[in-house]
Amino acid sequence: MNRFCRAVRQDILKIAKASGHGHIPSCFSVVEILCAVYGTHRHDPKNPGWDQRDIFILSKGHASLAHYCTLARLGYFDIARVASFGSFRTDFGCHADRLKVPGIEVSTGSLGHGIGVAVGMALAFKIKKSDRRVTVVIGDGEANEGSVWEALMVASNLKLDNLTVIYDNNMSHGRGLQITNPVEKLRAFGFRVEEVRGHNVAALKAVLARAPADAKPRAVVAQTKKGYGCPTMVCDHYAWHRRCPTDEEFTRLMEELDEEAV
Amino acid sequence: MRKRFRQTLMDLASRDERIVLLFGDVSVYLFEDFKTAYPDRFYNIGICENTIVSTGAGMSAAGMIPVMHTITPFITERSYEQIKIDLCYNRFGGNIVTCGASFDYAWDGATHHAYTDLAILRLLPGMEVIQPGSEKELDVLFRSQYANGRPTYFRLSDHPHAIDTDPVFGEAVVLKDAGAAVTVMTAGPLLGNVLEACRDLAVNLVYFHTIKPIDQEAICRFKDTEIVVVHDAFGLYEAIAEVGHLKMAYHGMPDDFCSCYGRLPDVRRSIGLDPASIRESLKKKLEHSKS
Repeated sequence: MNRFCRAVRQDILKIAKASGHGHIPSCFSVVEILCAVYGTHRHDPKNPGWDQRDIFILSKGHASLAHYCTLARLGYFDIARVASFGSFRTDFGCHADRLKVPGIEVSTGSLGHGIGVAVGMALAFKIKKSDRRVTVVIGDGEANEGSVWEALMVASNLKLDNLTVIYDNNMSHGRGLQITNPVEKLRAFGFRVEEVRGHNVAALKAVLARAPADAKPRAVVAQTKKGYGCPTMVCDHYAWHRRCPTDEEFTRLMEELDEEAV
Repeated sequence: MRKRFRQTLMDLASRDERIVLLFGDVSVYLFEDFKTAYPDRFYNIGICENTIVSTGAGMSAAGMIPVMHTITPFITERSYEQIKIDLCYNRFGGNIVTCGASFDYAWDGATHHAYTDLAILRLLPGMEVIQPGSEKELDVLFRSQYANGRPTYFRLSDHPHAIDTDPVFGEAVVLKDAGAAVTVMTAGPLLGNVLEACRDLAVNLVYFHTIKPIDQEAICRFKDTEIVVVHDAFGLYEAIAEVGHLKMAYHGMPDDFCSCYGRLPDVRRSIGLDPASIRESLKKKLEHSKS
């Protein structure tokens, strides 16, 4: 784990602990993905509305805390503002509101929405002959929603090679409807699919930086773990899905993050 | 009304390059000339209404003006959450324009009947809800509202009325103010039947093409009369009732599916919305109000 990702995870743990909110394991599975996306996108933290920026949408909106902490570390706003996470008058809700948080492009929460909106943005950029790119992260649990597959079909049919769908395959849905063989399924839906170790920033960046080649939208199946960075959570991510650590657990989890860091 | 919709869009698209059409495999042949003229601004997205709305929201976010079009129940009922979140909650504008109002597809049965759209869409914050009753109303109101940055719903009908109104968005049309004790309020194409039903009855008549925002000022003018809402859908009655402290009655949809087929007049007759049935209902109301 690199320093940036460790710092983001520490922020997540601290804020989740203090606020009593946050889907920590789900947040931890996307930290490297967020780091790699912003590391390859054109964006300007000092000018979030820059009209040439690439677009990122976190369709699995319950990992919003990871997104906030990443944006803060990138300089979009002070991390101190996120401390009010989930409170009554905060700008930083447990699901993001695009009108309140700089850098949030689309308000998400209900699953299966962000990907369709991403398709619309990518199509608009094609019409405008713009080279702006759109990247959307969907969860494997979210992929239970039929609207995800509708949007994938449409993206493929419209040949949106400026669209990248990152599939956070953290095996979150083993107790429900776990989608098997997402690489094959996405390929069958007309995507150029690449499978990547989802906690390896360099590997993710290498794939995301690659230019489109074949008039197909791209899917990146990121093999991740819920709770990555804290073995305690990885081992029992169902128990940790919505809970926050006690004082003792918090200390142990912070120590685990240090041990995982390189 | 769909042909007028095409004419209006052809004209607007020639002057506004932000307009982009997202269709659900409906009216595609009718729009062949649009597709030929603007091939990169017409998309038959497919039979996937959820994605049509989400895609429209994304296009709006990127500065385009989407016109999302397919059959009424499939986009308003199936894709309600997409309209609620992707358009309304995100404050992305766009135009949902549907065909198949109420019982326009009578012969296709209850799966294709559509009478909840106005009622459910008016509940969404920021949404505008328009039920044009004539081609002129569609043309004037679409031009007035299509680019205002808000989500706007237009419900087309294949059976427009022939009454010439002078529509202004958000304003009711008082067709008859006879100082009567009973006021009939209606909306959309059903105005034709309502006018025929009450032509010589001692009633006031108020007509709406805009369901949201409802013209509360016009309603208040008649707040001391008995109001009878005659409508082939839900939504108008509820919108009028929000004024409060009104004496109201509703003549329209039953709390049941219309499990029949046939043509529009057949279904309307079966639920009492043909001119004779409306007239009979209003006459009873008039007799009751005198006693």
